[in-house]
Amino acid sequence: MLSFLARRLLLAIPTLVGVLVVVFALLYVAPGDPVLEMVGERADSATIARLRKELRLDEPLPNQFAHYAGGALRGDLGRSYITGRPILRDIRERFPKTLELAAAAMCLAAIAGISIGVASAARPGGWFDRIAMALTYVGISAPVYWVGLILILVFAVILRWLPPSGFGHVRYLVLPALALGSRSIAFLARMTRSAMLEVLGGDYIRTARAKGLRERVVLGRHALRNALIPVITVLGLDFGYYLTGSILTETIFSWPGLGRYVVNAISRRDLPAIQGSVLFLSVVFVLVNLITDLVYAAADPRVTYE
Amino acid sequence: MPRRRLLLAAVVALAACRGGDSSPHRHTFIDSRDRYDPRSLDPALSTDVPTGRAVSYLFEGLTRFSPDAKLEPALAERWEVSPDGKVYTFHLRSGVRFHDGSPLRAAQVVRSFQRVLDPRTRGGRGWPLYPIAGARAFADGKANTIRGLTALDDSTVRITLDTALAVFPKLLAMPVASIVPDSTPADFGEHPVGTGPWTFARWKHDDYILLARNAHYWGGPPRADSLMIRIIPEPSTAVAEFESGNVDLLYVPEAQTEQWERTDEKKALLVSAPALRLWYVAINTTRGPLADARVRQALNYAVDVQAIVDHLIGGRGRLAAGVIPPTLDGADTTRRPYGYDPAKARRLLAAAGHPNGIDVELWVGQDETFQRVAQAIQGYLAAVGVRTKIVQRDNSSAREAARAGQTDLSLKDWYADYPDAENFLYPLLHGANRGVGGNVSFYENPAVDRLVNEARTTQDDARRAALYRQADSLAFLDAPMIYLFFYNELYAVQPWIQGYEIPAVFNGQRLTTVSIASGGVPGASAP
Repeated sequence: MLSFLARRLLLAIPTLVGVLVVVFALLYVAPGDPVLEMVGERADSATIARLRKELRLDEPLPNQFAHYAGGALRGDLGRSYITGRPILRDIRERFPKTLELAAAAMCLAAIAGISIGVASAARPGGWFDRIAMALTYVGISAPVYWVGLILILVFAVILRWLPPSGFGHVRYLVLPALALGSRSIAFLARMTRSAMLEVLGGDYIRTARAKGLRERVVLGRHALRNALIPVITVLGLDFGYYLTGSILTETIFSWPGLGRYVVNAISRRDLPAIQGSVLFLSVVFVLVNLITDLVYAAADPRVTYE
Repeated sequence: MPRRRLLLAAVVALAACRGGDSSPHRHTFIDSRDRYDPRSLDPALSTDVPTGRAVSYLFEGLTRFSPDAKLEPALAERWEVSPDGKVYTFHLRSGVRFHDGSPLRAAQVVRSFQRVLDPRTRGGRGWPLYPIAGARAFADGKANTIRGLTALDDSTVRITLDTALAVFPKLLAMPVASIVPDSTPADFGEHPVGTGPWTFARWKHDDYILLARNAHYWGGPPRADSLMIRIIPEPSTAVAEFESGNVDLLYVPEAQTEQWERTDEKKALLVSAPALRLWYVAINTTRGPLADARVRQALNYAVDVQAIVDHLIGGRGRLAAGVIPPTLDGADTTRRPYGYDPAKARRLLAAAGHPNGIDVELWVGQDETFQRVAQAIQGYLAAVGVRTKIVQRDNSSAREAARAGQTDLSLKDWYADYPDAENFLYPLLHGANRGVGGNVSFYENPAVDRLVNEARTTQDDARRAALYRQADSLAFLDAPMIYLFFYNELYAVQPWIQGYEIPAVFNGQRLTTVSIASGGVPGASAP
């Protein structure tokens, strides 16, 4: 187990270096000039040249990369060109908010999605199954943007139960978590249903039923646990995806998370902010994948990492 | 039938919750106009509207603008200018204190300007101060002081310019020329200390900025207790926040104009004012067939601008016949726009040697309204044989390409930094500003340049206006752009708000006269 962990963590290092190189190279190939973003609409070439020198943008690319990578190794991601604030502090401020939203959406998705899936699989073709599968079909197809606006319209503007947007009290979390999680709920429900149906055909289920176990125990203990592996995979992937910033949801609900930060950084060509956040998000993604692998082992005794 | 009863209960609840708007239980004025977080609250970094607006609540310069765009004394109580227009003497208002209690002194004016020009500040907006003698040398690191900037005593500042510049006092009203106290630590942009009517309380990045009333403000404290600037990236969300009564001021999106004007209830909340903002299509006058003025005039005749204003901008625009907005001195309100005349456009194209039309690229940024306008222009141009390919990029790339001269046509708007015809003629049409300076038509007409140069140094207002008018007329005939329209701002203001007036310039409204009627519990309802 420990050697597995160590191996995986070591393997992450070349991945991260690769990410850094690619991002660095891409940003310099892409159009758009960070200095032009700093000076605003009206400028003069002397100021632009001076800023470029001040930011070392006039140096050869390898030098710039060495300078940046050196800082990153020491844990210094530099300061934003646009705001002058340290990147690490910006990330530290925003990541917990993204995490909060992602976790809420994931919990919602896991609880609602798995329950709907199990209930549907219990009586395939029944009325609940038919309604649930129709709804999850809509849930998978509807863009999060549209879902978000509809949620705001119904629950904030018309019913006035919840605030339309913003960050703070848990009331502010409900709508964005629902919008963000809606696709996962639908996807997980379908996933769970089909995995359950497959498992329910197995011999050991027949055995369990034959020895007179109640249906709830058969479904919950014997079938669900075996159906969980694909479900965990989906959960892990979605969670990693949500953690890297749910840009649309954060934008619609004015949620001050990392997704918006990255988009703003990109649109303003804020090179240190883009590089820093991509590096950070890659670390997060690697960790989430690792945790997902560990959870497999916990859910299924047949999986071991030795 | 429990299910049916549940449905009934839901309908009743829905009806009950829809109840009429009630006044908010708060004393905080909440603005929803900013779509992204300001760069900083440090005046030296204010290069965009959200930053400049926030800075203007916290800080003041020597001068400022009233909501109707008049130049007013601010930290300078009065000033004199020498007969040759080169030497300005500013007398500071006495008894002004910074939010930390320290008194305002003339030395801080000197220091504040040096700080803006110092390359280590990395601000990027030195140009409003460059007219000061020795400012460029200081910015280049060739001098330790700014030669033309002296504190004569604690309350007098003398500023000497390289050449006379009539708009100089207006440049000093820009946020970047705000006066900062002696101590400006590295995180000054996060903990700003100024002399303005509002003091800094909190900044939750990408969420909101909270400012408190400066009870000791020299101009009298603001009427509201506090001011919250919410950062709401999505316009539809801002509308929802307004309709829920959570924000007091809303920028009505162009596409929703009609919807707001249709119902009396909503219409009563609207306020409108002409903005110092020109929408135009810059025509790169150095590229291929576009170098011929007849072709550029043809493009102007080809586009039905009134239809675009009516259908895509919700009627919120006045056709442009020049670059100077009609509310500014120097505008010629009798000059007629080109007008929609596709037959004439075709004739002009043929006369210029293009009977089969031409091919051009029209560049546009990511804003939705701009994209719709670009599509309409593409359609009109096609009708006279101008085959237009729309190139849509993110704002940054589109701007860079236009500045580098790589675009034929570029759909843009220009929002005034200060209310003066010079702020339109000089950056947009003067040869000295081709490219990064703002003139992405790369237009250069020595006669226009001469008139603008003369106007810039002329002290007499009437004479200056006449020169501006002539320059605008000359350029208009050359058609370095497709003249579209001057934009009208349309805001919605909650019924419980009093004393709000749309400013003509973005930093012309410091919200000191705004009050909230029948408020209740202070501090409630903030996110």
